Amino acid sequence: MPLIELKNVSKIYRLGSQSVTALSELSLLFEAGEFAVLAGPSGSGKTTALNLIGCLDRPTSGQVIVSGMNLGTASSRQLADFRLQHIGFIFQSYNLIPVLTAAENAEFTLMLQKVPKKSRRERVRRLFAELGIDGLEERRPADLSGGQQQRVAIARAMAGNPQVILADEPTANLDSHTAEELLELMRRLNREQGTTFVFSSHDDRVISQARRVIRLEDGCLSDDTGADR
Amino acid sequence: MLVTLAFRNLWRNQRRTLLTLSAMVVSAALLILALGVFSGMFKDMLASATEQYYGHLVLAEPAYHQRRELFSSLPAELADLPALRDAPEITGRSPRLRSFGLLSRRDTSQPVELLGVLPELEQQVTTLHQHLTAGRYPAPSDRNAALIGKGLASKLNVQPGDELVFVTQAADGSIGNDLLFVSGIFATGDSRHDNNLVLAPLNWLQQVLVLPGRIHEVAMLVSDPLNAALVAARLNPQLPDNLEVLDWGALLPEMREVIAAYDVSRMIIVTILYLATGLGILNTFFMSVMERTREFGILMAQGMRPWAIRRLVLLETLLLGCIALTIGLLCGALMTLYMQQIGIDLAGYITPVTYAGGTILPRLHAVFEPGNFSVPAGMLLLVSLFAGFLPANRAARLDPVAAVREE
Repeated sequence: MPLIELKNVSKIYRLGSQSVTALSELSLLFEAGEFAVLAGPSGSGKTTALNLIGCLDRPTSGQVIVSGMNLGTASSRQLADFRLQHIGFIFQSYNLIPVLTAAENAEFTLMLQKVPKKSRRERVRRLFAELGIDGLEERRPADLSGGQQQRVAIARAMAGNPQVILADEPTANLDSHTAEELLELMRRLNREQGTTFVFSSHDDRVISQARRVIRLEDGCLSDDTGADR
Repeated sequence: MLVTLAFRNLWRNQRRTLLTLSAMVVSAALLILALGVFSGMFKDMLASATEQYYGHLVLAEPAYHQRRELFSSLPAELADLPALRDAPEITGRSPRLRSFGLLSRRDTSQPVELLGVLPELEQQVTTLHQHLTAGRYPAPSDRNAALIGKGLASKLNVQPGDELVFVTQAADGSIGNDLLFVSGIFATGDSRHDNNLVLAPLNWLQQVLVLPGRIHEVAMLVSDPLNAALVAARLNPQLPDNLEVLDWGALLPEMREVIAAYDVSRMIIVTILYLATGLGILNTFFMSVMERTREFGILMAQGMRPWAIRRLVLLETLLLGCIALTIGLLCGALMTLYMQQIGIDLAGYITPVTYAGGTILPRLHAVFEPGNFSVPAGMLLLVSLFAGFLPANRAARLDPVAAVREE
């Protein structure tokens, strides 16, 4: 059974009296352990697809099934609980909580999962070491570089042991060297821990690192290659 | 961690938080002070009516207080009734005989109300001994010593040691008259007492009225004046049918109304003041929620339930309320303490005002009453929560996709 299944998914946004089709009849399957990129220019529907897979949004029509759960019929509370247990997010602008330290940011998901404090601390300590940001635990986001912040964001996304991590343009705000380092890091986590990564990008250097490239254009699937790359 | 997050969120915009906090602290502290001063004023009023004249409870024949007839007299031993003697709330009992007549000095006469009392027992009920301006309080051994009000002394032009003649109707139909000497002069600030009231020895008045061994009433003091009605209600079933205990509220219904009206006006003042404070809190937290829209989106993306988001914002308002409450209670208590110990004397600007049977003294003076702290404290926390509810609800209802996109 695939981990993620999109069946004829359409998403139409209403802007006043106008309708904008963000996704049109999109069907995709993702197996567990994939390292896939949704590629395409701005407005192609990459972020919308990520939002639907991440249970942040509901499709206008079609079905989104993640880990066997049909997200279209779930309540807001069920979706929140599903995100908490199964999904990790990495955002383009890092989006760390500025009043929390780096460690507290990473711990937050574990706190929501009601993991005991001692176990939370231990898990975050190991993650920080693995991501090469040990020693930065007590720093606030404002005191970290962009690359460090994004590593903390990855730690936050990884902390709850999600089945899938969704990353929306994760390297867009980073210089090329840091971007490559982060991509390599995500690939290693994917390889060693088997976590599924689906991210969006329009940067060819990033796209070339993915094992599977799904190209979107005007909300439609235009190409899906390299499942075996 | 949620408490840590809430606490740190409060201090993101320190200036805004401090401004809101100071508004909450000032409103709570001033409210506590104002309520303490109001309570002090009403305590003065009640004390002037009860502790300078009536007492908190009065035992008499049921109709006595309507007409105050000379013949509605009782045996003096009633002051020692077991029901009164054994009541733990009663702290003083004073048997009294009352007469209305003329008090004369040379060619000047004044109508007076003369109370025959046992000085040592009367001091347990009234505080006239604390208001002496000249002379001394009558001693138990004095046969015909009189304590008179300052206004009366002035009208009769007498000093301590001067002789007076009291003339009245006696119970046997004769004209009762005898000499009194002025032992002391009191000034309470209540013109009705200062111009009209005379205290004389009980035995002396019993002889003048030809009512040996008789009294008209037993005035009593209780430990908590606001519980006097309850004590009266408990005592009455234990008394013979020809006797009745009335509390100060029954003797002075207008005073009771004033105090009831005060309780209502206290709630109105609290509501008005906190309405304004609540709007300030509402504004602060709306701003705070709007500024953090993206963060709430991130928290939702991480799996935080809408109710937990609502709880986070409410926790922030509650924390602010608790901080404001702690500082506000402390400041309010300190200001009330100052006004209780020192107060502000307004005697140079205004004169005492008699109202609803009591006297408002020309001073600002506060008293500590639990209600003056608990009402503002409880209301401040409620206002904080109510004011926080709208922003909290807004945060909880955010669409995560739109919130994450928010710049």
